[in-house]
Amino acid sequence: MQTGLMSTYKSSLKSKGIIAWVLSLLLFAFYLLIYFTNIPDSWAHLVGLESKWNLYGVLYTIAIIAGGLYFINTHGNSRYQKFRTFTLIFMQVVFAFSIPEIMGMFESKGFNFAKFWPLGIELFNPKYIFDYPILIIVYAFVGSLIAVPILTLLYGKRWYCSWVCGCGGLAETAGDSFRQLSDKRVKAWKFEQVSIHTVLVLAILSTALVIINWGMHYENTAGEWVTDYATFDLIASKVQGTYQFLVVAMLSGVLGVGLYPLMGSRVWCRFFCPMAALLGLIQKFGRFRITVKDEMCISCGNCSTYCEMGIDVRAYAQTNQSFKRASCVGCGMCAHVCPRGVLRLENKWDFRKTADSENRKVFDF
Amino acid sequence: MHYVIIGNGVAGINAANSLRNYDEDAEITIISYESEHHFSRTALMYVFCGQLSEQCVEPFERDHYEKMGFKRVNDKVTKLDTNSNKLYLEKGETISFDKLLIACGAVPAMYNWPGQDLDGVGNFVTWQNLQWLQEKSKTAKKAVVVGGGLIGIETVEVLLQAGIDVTFLVREDYYWPIALDKTESTIIAEHMKHHKVDLRLKTAFAEILGKDGKVVGVKTGDGEIIDCELVVIAVGVRPQTDWLKDSGVTMDERGGIIVDEYLQTNCTDIYSAGDCASVIWFNNVRRPEQLWYTGRDQGKIAAANLFGMEKIYKRGTFYNSAKFFDIEYTTAGLVNFNLDGEKNFYSQEEGTHNTVRITYLPDNKVVGFNMLGRRWDHRILVQWIDEKRTLSWVLDHLHKALYDEEFMPQFKLNKQVS
Repeated sequence: MQTGLMSTYKSSLKSKGIIAWVLSLLLFAFYLLIYFTNIPDSWAHLVGLESKWNLYGVLYTIAIIAGGLYFINTHGNSRYQKFRTFTLIFMQVVFAFSIPEIMGMFESKGFNFAKFWPLGIELFNPKYIFDYPILIIVYAFVGSLIAVPILTLLYGKRWYCSWVCGCGGLAETAGDSFRQLSDKRVKAWKFEQVSIHTVLVLAILSTALVIINWGMHYENTAGEWVTDYATFDLIASKVQGTYQFLVVAMLSGVLGVGLYPLMGSRVWCRFFCPMAALLGLIQKFGRFRITVKDEMCISCGNCSTYCEMGIDVRAYAQTNQSFKRASCVGCGMCAHVCPRGVLRLENKWDFRKTADSENRKVFDF
Repeated sequence: MHYVIIGNGVAGINAANSLRNYDEDAEITIISYESEHHFSRTALMYVFCGQLSEQCVEPFERDHYEKMGFKRVNDKVTKLDTNSNKLYLEKGETISFDKLLIACGAVPAMYNWPGQDLDGVGNFVTWQNLQWLQEKSKTAKKAVVVGGGLIGIETVEVLLQAGIDVTFLVREDYYWPIALDKTESTIIAEHMKHHKVDLRLKTAFAEILGKDGKVVGVKTGDGEIIDCELVVIAVGVRPQTDWLKDSGVTMDERGGIIVDEYLQTNCTDIYSAGDCASVIWFNNVRRPEQLWYTGRDQGKIAAANLFGMEKIYKRGTFYNSAKFFDIEYTTAGLVNFNLDGEKNFYSQEEGTHNTVRITYLPDNKVVGFNMLGRRWDHRILVQWIDEKRTLSWVLDHLHKALYDEEFMPQFKLNKQVS
């Protein structure tokens, strides 16, 4: 048995009981207030913070530290889990929280070095990024376009999604108690494939429109920043605004976190995150795979149950298929909870056939 | 063609899946009374303690039978007529078959101990056992588990987790002597004691004491009385074949259905697979192989032969794995078989439960591994045995067979040869 997971299905909080519904409701309310009203500003002032976004940053960081320490306490017997969670806490505390705050103290705009395009959709918005010093501009472009794909080819998307990313960070720590709630049905997988790639297309489209629109602006003789294509300008800002509202506020914030207690902690990452979509496509060509030890699986279902991305890991394990799945964030919990040590995460160039959506066998004969 | 499969366990469902693969149009009927959906029996302990839900332990989605075109009959077979190829069911129905697979599994063995029918005495093998134990554990404060094998230790583990004090009666000199050496067994015993198990070795079990039809205690072979409200007996399982007694299907003395290398019984159209089938082991001993993966293998092989192919069921080198509380266990080949002139290499990593035992013969060829603690790749261990590698070669390459999670501490051997 696994320390920390016993009685998951006896807990109201962890198995969609009344407590889970209440918590979900509270999270929805909190996110709606933060994103769409100024009420939280007054809360921020109460504790001596400048704005609701500072307050949100503080709360978010506390949630990751507390949840992370709790996770390490239960799963720290695995060094992979321990190292990974300490890294997530470090990334949040230093890169996502402290460095931007410190930059703010020196009168410059804060910058999160742990965020890349297309998760940070604004990084490729010239109006936004050109306000920064040249080094940061280079970091954003080289990071997003070169470093991220290379690291993903070498280590899988896990290096980002379950070691660095802030959204993943919250899911892996404060949201860990809800990982078993992800939908494992093939139906959910089909939905995910459509939804996540739709958001990726929207992200690329929105970025392209913003860049083209910026290119069509120029400084007139009076020193104003103008364009001759008013309609295009309007469309571009509409698309950008819609993306901001729908994807950034609603899907990643309100729904993404609000649904933690009901649909698991990775709703955003699995169904909507454009970064996850892009890294997933790269992951399929990379080294990272989950290796299955032949004829050892007892079909108990621990791996599938505790997969936060809703991958039916057992379907591969019980049919002796090592596999690569675009959605796998490499959290390693399937391997950790397996009572027969069947699964192992590996970075290994291995061109033997791995199973994916195209050639996955449901049975082996 | 109408294939009928008795049993919805791992052998039965895998046979059905394979048959569907071979024959798209065949009529396939699965008869079972235990549970509506196929479930993983090995995972009952996780359902009991709440680590998994009931649906989590079902290896296929619930529309599986419908999607695969299997007819699912919820009933118990009471009689088989081998002359007319007919099955008689408990609720009155009769079913005719062209080909039959008997994969009805095994049931807990009970040896007519005094008091075994008292309220509060049971087993932990079937779905019904799970429901019974869940109910009983709500009120029980003290339990006795009888039987020094895997189901015994798993039952002890989940009962403790449910807040029940457990006394574990093991008849043998040390825990699980058919698989473990005394040294490793002692490590497991210490681990159990660390988890507050009242482990009693060399303690036979004489009778169960009751009052008003309910369990109040257990009397050991030495006459000691242990008070308890719950007794779980886990002294092994026996093939569930009482209903076949007068059918003409040949069985061994313990009720295992005798099959040949094609898993065919003495009747032409009838095959058997899984926990009820008596097969020939690697060492030429005939008895059922009650493992999860052999059940699955046998189901698939039986299906091929039912379909008319000629596939031989042949076991390669033995291997298995298990978990004792937090300690993982991997075995491969022949350990604890007392082979002529066998020697053992044994090593324990300091301050850990991680042990390595390698059994080898006087010619230095390795024949078996018993490993505790760390994860090992049984495929590689089996390959080395098959390749007849020498001890020194194996020791030099041992790290290649490690299958640990990433970043685990480096593996260190601490040589001791006995």
